[in-house]
Amino acid sequence: MITLTIDGKEVQVPEGTTVLRAAEQAGIHIPTLCDHKHLFPYGGCRMCLVEVEGARTLQPSCTLPAANGMVVYTNTPAVREARTFVLTLIFSERNHFCMYCPVSGGDCELQNAAYGQGMTEWPLQPNWQPYPVDGSHEFIVLDHNRCILCRRCVRACAELVGNFTLGVQERGASTRIIADLDVPLGESTCVSCGTCLQVCPTGAIIDRVSAYQGRLKDVTRIKSTCVGCSVGCGIEMIVRDNRLLRIEGDWDAPVNQGVLCKIGRFDPLTDQGERILTPLVRRNGGLKATTWDEALQVVASRLQTMKGRNGSGIAALASTRLPVEALYSFKQLFADKLDSGIVTSIEEGVTTALPGWVARKLGKPFEGTLDEIHNADLVLAIGVDLVENHQVAGFFVKRILPQGCKLVVIDPYDNGLHALADFSLRPKKETDYDLLVGLMQVIASLGAVRTHPIGTHDLTRHTPDNVGRTTGVPAEAIREVGRLLAEAEHPVFIYGKGLTRASFPTALEALLDLARMAGALGDTHSAVIGTKGQANSMAAYLFDLDKAFDLKGHQVAYLALGDDRPGTRLLEQIENVPFVVVQASYASPLTDRADVVLPATIWAEQAGHYVNLEGRLQEARQGLTPPRDVRSNLAIFQALAEALGITLDENWRDALQQRVWIGQPDACR
Amino acid sequence: MPKPKVATDWLAACAGCHMSLLDMDERIVKLVELVDIRATPITDLKEPDENGVDVGVLTGAVNTTTNEEVARRMRSRCKILVALGDCAVFGGVIAMRNFFKLEDALKRAYVETESTDAEGKVPADPELGVPTRVRAVKEVVKVDVCVPGCPPDADTIFYVLSELAQGRIPELKDEKLQWH
Repeated sequence: MITLTIDGKEVQVPEGTTVLRAAEQAGIHIPTLCDHKHLFPYGGCRMCLVEVEGARTLQPSCTLPAANGMVVYTNTPAVREARTFVLTLIFSERNHFCMYCPVSGGDCELQNAAYGQGMTEWPLQPNWQPYPVDGSHEFIVLDHNRCILCRRCVRACAELVGNFTLGVQERGASTRIIADLDVPLGESTCVSCGTCLQVCPTGAIIDRVSAYQGRLKDVTRIKSTCVGCSVGCGIEMIVRDNRLLRIEGDWDAPVNQGVLCKIGRFDPLTDQGERILTPLVRRNGGLKATTWDEALQVVASRLQTMKGRNGSGIAALASTRLPVEALYSFKQLFADKLDSGIVTSIEEGVTTALPGWVARKLGKPFEGTLDEIHNADLVLAIGVDLVENHQVAGFFVKRILPQGCKLVVIDPYDNGLHALADFSLRPKKETDYDLLVGLMQVIASLGAVRTHPIGTHDLTRHTPDNVGRTTGVPAEAIREVGRLLAEAEHPVFIYGKGLTRASFPTALEALLDLARMAGALGDTHSAVIGTKGQANSMAAYLFDLDKAFDLKGHQVAYLALGDDRPGTRLLEQIENVPFVVVQASYASPLTDRADVVLPATIWAEQAGHYVNLEGRLQEARQGLTPPRDVRSNLAIFQALAEALGITLDENWRDALQQRVWIGQPDACR
Repeated sequence: MPKPKVATDWLAACAGCHMSLLDMDERIVKLVELVDIRATPITDLKEPDENGVDVGVLTGAVNTTTNEEVARRMRSRCKILVALGDCAVFGGVIAMRNFFKLEDALKRAYVETESTDAEGKVPADPELGVPTRVRAVKEVVKVDVCVPGCPPDADTIFYVLSELAQGRIPELKDEKLQWH
């Protein structure tokens, strides 16, 4: 530990702590602009200058490591004068007129810094040089006139997202943030994650939807969980007058630490189509608006007559975007009480049934958490495209590659990760097992087995040359990847749908054995991660909602979609079902086909829990008030149960524990 | 002791700062008890007393030679000059024009506007002030107190005038320091 004195206060900090962080720890505020707690110190803006006893000049506290016996002053006349001077120069460089800027009034760190120094004017007037405004992007506007060149966006794009789209060109007053080799942002390699937007301290990077729609003091911020996929990122909903203005990543969230992807940040703000605002019942061939009482009666009476008619009665399907509470009520109502023939989820267990089977066979969870990626020196991704889906997990991988982490991608199909991989293996279809055993063989031949495999694999037959012939992957690549796995100190294995879609578990079991041999899976530690599918795939698995939705012979189909938008396959499946109930937020061909439509809340209008891909139980909060006649998915199941004279319990926490978990089960306790 | 005399005038402004002055509602009665309000653009007397006032308030940016004259006249007739509002303090919305060439701005305003017919031309009457680069008041005359805001809140204006009336230079911070 290091002891230093800041403004007369003695502070103890670990070695390597900067003076700025030490001051924060002591509750002393030093104004900053380029600094951001989630980015590496940069030392670009000089707002954080402090006086250090014995130092020749003022020192930037953000890059100055604390040293034993250091005596620091953060608020001397010289420091205050320097801060005002720094601000004076920044204001003189570009167009920083606040009166027509969307972030003025609390959201602008530059303005707040000026207020902090009590500035009532600019000592130097601007030099009136206009800079371009890049409005080419679908969601983000880049206004160079407001830019103070702190490079937070550039650093966030690299350090947090690993995308390296943003950079800087030219020098001096001509310095400009650019995308790629100075192409419009909308035509660049930008993945629209919006992290730059979230870290920009001024109005230089703004988003189209929320600009000019409400200042900090006009809006409400609600912490919640993204339901865009199974990663389960922490978000903040920024709401004004029951309108969702913006979604930001929650810097304090354990899963994503502030980072979001396009699906979580921007997609929910785009036009989602026509909402269903009242219950509808089919009469004389057409869907007619009706009351909840009538709609529930129509559904209840039909369900009552079909109750328990296994195979020819009720088939029920719920979206894996529904909260745990709703899924639990759904399961109780349709499986336990109505004894329906099929009770499953929209994903039909495609991402969970297989790992679930393996977990049950092992008698315990076998997956680790996403945190494992942060320290990886080798990532092996198999059957999973983290550029397309589960993007935040993909950012975690991409951002550690410059630190020397090796990436091995195994996927016969197009995969966004192929381009970034050190080794891109494209085995022939259905030969994953052979390839994985081939890699085991290399590790074994190098005498580098760290934990012995559980399964029995024919290593002698799976030489690189033999496996090369079976899989079409060059034998040399198999040797090289095997060697990397043998040498890696912290290998991480990520698998996805490409592996779990297979109907037999051998490839997944081989992957686990490979992970064991490489030291990534032991009794107390796992660096194996399965991406699953939607926000509550895991909860659906834990409630046994992972069977195939085979409708043959069923007389009633109950589709609890919520705000999910299933593909056309479901429409084809229900084509010949005599009575179809659709519980949905948005109008779709499925609601058009329905006999009864029950209007349900969207994600932001309901509260509940989600179990993410790691097995982490997280809370999603309500940010918006639903339209008058729209009910939450849980409330609809409860009302339906009441109409049927059925009592539902709310012991979902206990029910979750009934099955063997795939990932960490502790979060739920 | 006689009440301090206050005169206000506007330069290139939207009148919003003077509206904000009126927005102090019944406190204007209290203000009149504290100060002797002389010339303002919204009262009958338009020009500050020739024998001087204690406090002169200017709103708006310096946009033409006429604005320059008005600013100089106020400066020469007051002891303490207050620049009130973002246009007077920084140049404000008016100063957006500085990011373009003056000729382009005049052409856009008088010739190319959608509502202008083929007769449109830039006014050149010798009676008119000549447009200049837009400047903050302090670029033309010395300013003693800057009160930013677009417009400054009525509370802020009341505070500033009441402090000046009592012989103190107002210190703007927290809620009273707003640049928008």
